[in-house]
Amino acid sequence: MNLIQYILTRVGAYFVILFIGITVTFFLPRLMPSDPIEGYINQIQTQAGQTMDPEAITKLRQSLRELYGLEGSLASQYVNYLKKVLLKFDFGPSLSGFPKPVSEYILQALPWTAGLLGISIVFSWLIGNLIGLLAGFFHNTRWATVLEVVGVVLYPIPYYILALVLILLFAYVWPLFPLSTTIRPGPISLEKIRMIIYNSFLPALTLVLAGFGWNVLGMKALSFANKEEGYVKFARLKGVPPRTVMFQYVAKNSFLPQITALALSIGGIFNGALLTEILFSYPGLGLRMRTAVGNGDFNMLYGTVTISIIAVATAALIIDLLYPLFDPRIRYQ
Amino acid sequence: MIALNNIVATYTTVRGQVNAVDNVNVSIPNGNIVGIAGESGCGKSTLLKIIYGDILYPLSLSQGSINYGIEGKNGEISTKDIGQYWFKRISYIPQSSMSSLNPVVRIRKQFLDFLEPGQNKKAILEQVREYIKGLDLPPEALDSYPHQLSGGMRQRIMVALGTYFKPDIILADEPTTALDVVVQKGILLLLMEIQEQMKNTILFVSHDMGVHYQISHKMLIMYAAKVVEFGDSEAVFKAPMHPYTRMLIEALPTIGDAKEREGVSGRPPSLWDKLVGCRFAARCPFATEVCKTEEPEFLEHQPGHFAACHHVDRVRQA
Repeated sequence: MNLIQYILTRVGAYFVILFIGITVTFFLPRLMPSDPIEGYINQIQTQAGQTMDPEAITKLRQSLRELYGLEGSLASQYVNYLKKVLLKFDFGPSLSGFPKPVSEYILQALPWTAGLLGISIVFSWLIGNLIGLLAGFFHNTRWATVLEVVGVVLYPIPYYILALVLILLFAYVWPLFPLSTTIRPGPISLEKIRMIIYNSFLPALTLVLAGFGWNVLGMKALSFANKEEGYVKFARLKGVPPRTVMFQYVAKNSFLPQITALALSIGGIFNGALLTEILFSYPGLGLRMRTAVGNGDFNMLYGTVTISIIAVATAALIIDLLYPLFDPRIRYQ
Repeated sequence: MIALNNIVATYTTVRGQVNAVDNVNVSIPNGNIVGIAGESGCGKSTLLKIIYGDILYPLSLSQGSINYGIEGKNGEISTKDIGQYWFKRISYIPQSSMSSLNPVVRIRKQFLDFLEPGQNKKAILEQVREYIKGLDLPPEALDSYPHQLSGGMRQRIMVALGTYFKPDIILADEPTTALDVVVQKGILLLLMEIQEQMKNTILFVSHDMGVHYQISHKMLIMYAAKVVEFGDSEAVFKAPMHPYTRMLIEALPTIGDAKEREGVSGRPPSLWDKLVGCRFAARCPFATEVCKTEEPEFLEHQPGHFAACHHVDRVRQA
């Protein structure tokens, strides 16, 4: 009963978050004093000279409004927008890549971003937590201190510096990896997978290293505190072998807050995407987003922002729903 | 028989070394419930740790030895190899069952995780299920997580865990302090019943002299790292030889007696100081000049009844 309630609450919150996110992305640009269509018409007029027919301009304005969903009252625009986005996943045509629809661009870019960030976040979480666990569990040995120092040193380095240093070292001084991502289109083959890994390795490495220090420090503190719990002491007095104490007792309990931390770090996934993809010119959503800002491509901006809201909320929902698997206190009340 | 031969247990700290158990020399016959009493910091728990063989830095056994009277694989067991027999020959029931069970692992898994791999855990688990039925626990309790059980049930699980392998020695460190009085009584009766059947030796630490009176066959009173009195409970409660024991017993309330109770005033001496004479002298109503300069020996004043006091006769007559 309690579990059902737990799931319903999470799913309910998920839809509320999506709704609020999409609503804000709809209203925010409309609060701006400039009108994109007037701006566009002005641009055409100055290019074409003075000779444009006022009637043609009215018609142009009309069809542009229709095309971009800007006709009618704000309320009916909003309802139309919701219908298009939620039911048809339609953000209209891209302004800079007209008439190709935004959704097509997004579907092309999304797997790149999701793949790169998903894999590197999970890896940095797993490796960071394992190192933190060892550092916390064996806190009085010298090599544990070394492990902790790795976390302390890595954690405060700003991401862009870390990434630039790695690019300098491994793409320029010692060119193991390419300076910028070039992936030829084509069907999935072994050769293509090899190419993808070759091109994605360095951006993934920077993301892993950047996220990892935080996980090491967090897990070290958690497992160190957990080691002093009564059940860990009692397990030792029962004569439970140290490996079992570490994994069954300390790790299982210390992981719980770290799972929440994982959900939070997935929330920051698109911040990472923006910078990583710009630095490595990686063909993902972040790069699309930045180009859209540069080109004034409103529809593309809507699309990428909305999809990032959906992706982050969904990832957080999945982790929330998985949480009861790890903590029986939520499963059975 | 468990023989504690001149045990000195030392804690190493930044301030230097301090003896939390000092020259304890007692022989405990088998098949008894031995109550260990004394105020906080007198060395009860340290003594249990030493006996259990849980000797980790900063604690060390700086002098003396223990004969457990148990034969192991390589002859008689000593404090060095007692660790191999934990929960099989010697077990430990902790103070708070609340925090001694892993909250995210099923109890059946915690019950047997100290056994070497290769043993038929499934079959043992079936026997455990039978066994806990006798302890007033539903067999399903094994399949639960700790938070699904009440405090009393959890403590019964701890008792089951501590007694299932029929160990020769059971150390119980205040196993009932966290429970309400009714549940406490249930647990105590259970322990007594099990002890009667299995005839193991239970060392039972408690602050509560009332509990000791009910269950202990023998009493061991500690004061400032020393054992000050040891003997049959009946004799100790009826005619204590050490003034400290006497004061502890006099502080016990009885039903129908409206007289105001007096606690033992003052504080025990700091173990950091250089202690001369009897350690209880400063708080003792019987103290004389000799107590301040000469340390009383721990002697057998009556058969099986030991005490460390210069004035045993005066204490008994008063």
